[in-house]
Amino acid sequence: MSSDLVLVIVVGTALAFDFTNGFHDTANVVATTISTRAARPQVAIGIASLLNFLGAFISISVAATVANDVVNADVITPTIVFAGLIGAIAWNLITWWLGLPSSSSHALIGGVVGSAVAAAGIDAVLAEGLVGKVLIPAVVAPVVAFLVAGLSIGIVYRIVGRQRPGPVTRGFRYGQVISGGLLALAHGTNDAQKTMGVITLALIANGTLGPNSDPPLWVIVSAATAIALGTYSGGWRIIRTTGTRIIKMDSAQGFSAQGAGAAVILASTHFGFPLSTTHVINGGVMGAGAGKRVSAVRWGVAGNIMVAWLLTLPAAAAIGAAAYGLSTVVGSGALGPVLVSLLFISVLVVAFTRREQGASVPAG
Amino acid sequence: MAIIVQTKELAQTIVASVVAGVGVTLVFSIAIWGAARFVDLNRSQRPLAAGAAAALGAAALAVTLATVVVGIVVMTSK
Repeated sequence: MSSDLVLVIVVGTALAFDFTNGFHDTANVVATTISTRAARPQVAIGIASLLNFLGAFISISVAATVANDVVNADVITPTIVFAGLIGAIAWNLITWWLGLPSSSSHALIGGVVGSAVAAAGIDAVLAEGLVGKVLIPAVVAPVVAFLVAGLSIGIVYRIVGRQRPGPVTRGFRYGQVISGGLLALAHGTNDAQKTMGVITLALIANGTLGPNSDPPLWVIVSAATAIALGTYSGGWRIIRTTGTRIIKMDSAQGFSAQGAGAAVILASTHFGFPLSTTHVINGGVMGAGAGKRVSAVRWGVAGNIMVAWLLTLPAAAAIGAAAYGLSTVVGSGALGPVLVSLLFISVLVVAFTRREQGASVPAG
Repeated sequence: MAIIVQTKELAQTIVASVVAGVGVTLVFSIAIWGAARFVDLNRSQRPLAAGAAAALGAAALAVTLATVVVGIVVMTSK
């Protein structure tokens, strides 16, 4: 009974994470479309939400990696998964607050790894899966997106550079509807699957599913719905950072960045690599900027984003470990996760209330 | 080390990303070029050249869309 209650809390927390993932990553998917005026914000976000939902249904390779290849499912308990999710959500909200497009995926994996190490020691981590399927692709993918976008924009300017700008801009704006749609679909396939993987891991840990099981249909549907709703809710702070503060983009650059991002994410999803879509699209945006003119990229902003990227895994791991410690301080039952959930929600309410009060004070 | 890094899968991911990302942009740029040239050549009253540019643009657009569809199908085939 107690473990079932923890499982319910884990599923609820995982779906809350999925919502924040969509909310946080809306910018990655729509920022370039909006900033080049290829589509109005609400239209772009609506299409992105729908395609995120559909994308969640077309593959389960990444979910299988998260559920079976990162931590040892034999030593994982639902409370460990819960604490990892708290670490991921907390880090997502901190970086959202600061307007930094950090990686929800690495926050999730960092949180789960941190809580697993706190609970069962370093042996709980499957180094081969963590390094081979998460860390190495995490470094390689944004670099590939950078190079593909840079190469692409060079080719674009070579082909259409001497044409009148009006038709070219209009053409690439239409193209961005397709490339932005592909990016949203790719985001749904890769990111929604991480939540599916975590819920599946919790179901395996609870004994509800057997080892190496695939996610059940209700998990896929609920994860798809949560990320789509989160995407629709949007994160305007990060849209501004990605869409205008890294580089000022034209529609050809937006198309190149989105095309590069979609290609890298879709190819990686095929092989089950749980990528950071944030890293990839920002790599594409920087590549599209640098391909036109290296000084067009605001490297200071890009540097802040990179610092957030580097901090994400260890910071989410530390919060996940602390959340596990707090969850088990009152025993191994459901009381700990319930108290941590209430504490976490209270902190959020206080923080958001103070922020609203601060925002409503007229400037002197 | 090779097993940990999963060299083959990673290499295939990189190759597929480069081919798909650069390829689609290249072909779509040709479609845009064809459309832009069609408008200009039509205005200059050169219907044959305009028709050729339009045909090239339309073919490139078709290849772009086909590549996108094939890409999605390949990804979902695993």
